[in-house]
Amino acid sequence: MEEKKLNEKESLELITQMIRQSRKNIGTGSGNRFLLYGYLAVVLAVVVFALVSTTGNSVWAAAWFLMFAPFIYTTVHDRKHRPAVITYTDRMIDETWKVIGTLFVITVLTMMILGYALGSVNFGLMMPLALIYCGIGTSITGLVIKDSVLAYLPLFGLVFAIYMLMTLPALQHVPATWHLYFGISFLIMMVIPGHNLNAKCRK
Amino acid sequence: MLRELNPLLHSQLRLAIVSILLSVDEADFVYLKEQTGATAGNLSVQIDKLASAGYIGVKKEFVGKKTRTTCQITERGRDAFEQYVEALKEYLKL
Repeated sequence: MEEKKLNEKESLELITQMIRQSRKNIGTGSGNRFLLYGYLAVVLAVVVFALVSTTGNSVWAAAWFLMFAPFIYTTVHDRKHRPAVITYTDRMIDETWKVIGTLFVITVLTMMILGYALGSVNFGLMMPLALIYCGIGTSITGLVIKDSVLAYLPLFGLVFAIYMLMTLPALQHVPATWHLYFGISFLIMMVIPGHNLNAKCRK
Repeated sequence: MLRELNPLLHSQLRLAIVSILLSVDEADFVYLKEQTGATAGNLSVQIDKLASAGYIGVKKEFVGKKTRTTCQITERGRDAFEQYVEALKEYLKL
């Protein structure tokens, strides 16, 4: 593009062309992030369930902290490979997940501090809370990118969170089956919508 | 009487840069170069002019060992663009 004097009509045409062209060249994103977290949750659910039920030792549930590993990996990866263009949609999704991530950190820290003060801590409460946080984050992402599967399917995954919250006060310890419920919820909440989103992007 | 078109925006490359930045949150130098088809030198000069006028914000940072320049439209740039389009409409009687 050279520097040349434009007339009014050419100016308006250039504005329209640039806006249309830049929007066309912007990708719609993919469901890979959802698949990363979703499949990790499903694998961990099976492994933790198997370890807890065979050993009877609930300390294996600490393996759930591995769910933070993709967050560390993606943060480092994104710093090294910044996209050439960031849209308002990208920014909105990014900010949403930053809030969700902060919620996780605050929840874990609060539970640890209160657990220390009270003398005991039950991290079982993290499971329904994590489902609620991730479900809301996924739904908001779905609404922003106008994908109804991503927006509404996570709400079905939240059924397990409600069940856990309702039964937790009556329980002495977290049942091993909760780990499986957690994995199923992530399957509904992230894996299915993630594949659906990828299929849409390929089209 | 028709108002004067903003000379800073009434130039092919600068108008293209602002139009692109209006439709995204931020874009890097390489993306702007690809979209406008301008040479690196010319693009750099026009970005500096827009940044000096406060129409766009320019951020330079290191990504690994390479420098990366990203641009973002400012409120001032957005207002100037709106006024420019309004003036264009008057000229074209739209």
